[in-house]
Amino acid sequence: MICEQCGERPATVIVKQNQQGHVTEKHLCHVCAAENHSINFSFDQDPMAIHNLLANWFPKQQAAVSPIRKEVPTCPFCGFTFQKFLSLGKFGCAKCYSTFSPQLVEILKRVQNGNTEHTGKIPASYGTTLKIKKEIEELRKQMQTAIQGENFEEAARLRDQVKVLNEKLEGGGDVGD
Amino acid sequence: MAIDRFLQPRASSWMANNGEHVDIAMSTRIRLARNLEEFKFPYAFSEDEALKVDKAISSVLLDKGKELGYGFTHINIEDLNDLQREVLVEKHLISPYLANSQHSSAVLLSDEEELSVMVNEEDHMRIQSLQSGFHLQEAYDIANKMDSLLEEHLSYAFHEKFGYLTSCPTNTGTGMRASVMLHLPALTMSHQINRIIPAISRLGMVVRGIYGEGSEALGNVYQISNQVTLGKSEYEIFQDLQNMTEQIIEQERRAREALNANSPLLLEDRVYRSLGVLTHARLLNTEEAATCLSDVRLGIDLHLITDVDMSILNELMVFMQPAFLQQYAGRPLEAKERDLARAELFRERLADNGINTKGEDFA
Repeated sequence: MICEQCGERPATVIVKQNQQGHVTEKHLCHVCAAENHSINFSFDQDPMAIHNLLANWFPKQQAAVSPIRKEVPTCPFCGFTFQKFLSLGKFGCAKCYSTFSPQLVEILKRVQNGNTEHTGKIPASYGTTLKIKKEIEELRKQMQTAIQGENFEEAARLRDQVKVLNEKLEGGGDVGD
Repeated sequence: MAIDRFLQPRASSWMANNGEHVDIAMSTRIRLARNLEEFKFPYAFSEDEALKVDKAISSVLLDKGKELGYGFTHINIEDLNDLQREVLVEKHLISPYLANSQHSSAVLLSDEEELSVMVNEEDHMRIQSLQSGFHLQEAYDIANKMDSLLEEHLSYAFHEKFGYLTSCPTNTGTGMRASVMLHLPALTMSHQINRIIPAISRLGMVVRGIYGEGSEALGNVYQISNQVTLGKSEYEIFQDLQNMTEQIIEQERRAREALNANSPLLLEDRVYRSLGVLTHARLLNTEEAATCLSDVRLGIDLHLITDVDMSILNELMVFMQPAFLQQYAGRPLEAKERDLARAELFRERLADNGINTKGEDFA
């Protein structure tokens, strides 16, 4: 995205302005942002105006309509069409994630720095085995970081944690926290 | 009314002045976005669903919050007038988005205001944990415990591959946004900040300035936060942010030393001029007040000023904002009237602090 002010440099800063409840948004490069004194700052802002970006990535002609079936994907639970998702930049419900799954990975890649898979927290209720597996993965990563930083004490502590978790897994996953 | 205590010009716990690097890192925030599985997200749900979502979340927090030692107050946004909503925004307790909400939405505030749970914002739930100073781990632990408590009683929208499902794909995964507010006067004065900002954006983080009204602005305060929420664990996200923030703090310290070494008299003059303005001005607009506050903060950090308490400055930064001034005055104020009220506020609060604010003594 190009800076809206100079039209030359890439936009790296998003400036949102809230004047008596009217929110406007500007995509600026760092030079114009530094010069811009009408910057209004507040804690809760999306890092980017996602719908503007989405609209550029998925030009209308290819966005929603499959050329063979001439069918617009519509979410059966909330009624959102892919077009509506693009114009808002927001999903209507959890089911949209499966309804729009053919396009989803591409979207996530773009807004999430190429990442498409969750590696963080998992709700406890979501199945102990999956939770333990992901936890082990996470601990191994931390262990690598510790080893690279020559923090061997920490690495040993993490290794023991992985061992305990592996035993839990082999024990059949029937473990409380 | 229960809301009243949250609208008073009374310090929230995140405005206190304690912790490591507190001279530069002013406050830390963790926000977790969550949705309930069985309801449509706020962009698609009905008013009836909105009420059910509120009821489900609120009953858990009001009943079980005590298990973690938090008492919560439930506030319906539609029960608040515009000014009251704006006050909560200025205190960072709700988002501007929630303040302008068109459907049934609410906020649950903990007694010490360190936790705020927004209901039916862009997602069903936004758990927000605020800490003074630079405390990412602590802020995350508090938000995470609250999240774990809630998930025992609620069924979250979660996907094995994509993680926590949110309205906006920029939040999908951890649903976590971690931010630190930094006071960077020396990097700003020396224009080094212009080189730092683009470098940070390339590393998956975002920098923004903070607070101000319309064209009036800022006071050298920046907010740095993670942009990516997917493919990294919560720990990795705040660890990356932690490392980046520490580097910026280090650079700010060096820039301050250089400033102090190269032009000590100019710096001292600037700091004391600003203290003079804050303690004696009769009209103060937001921009001037923010600039002077920044200078005085720097003066305290460099031990040039020793008789002003930093936590009072933190409070003034919040209470000098337009909605707070009007709330304090008990009536709507025009811009000029606000400048008058703002100048009075500064003289009053700094006088309480033992600073001479009576112009005639110097006559």
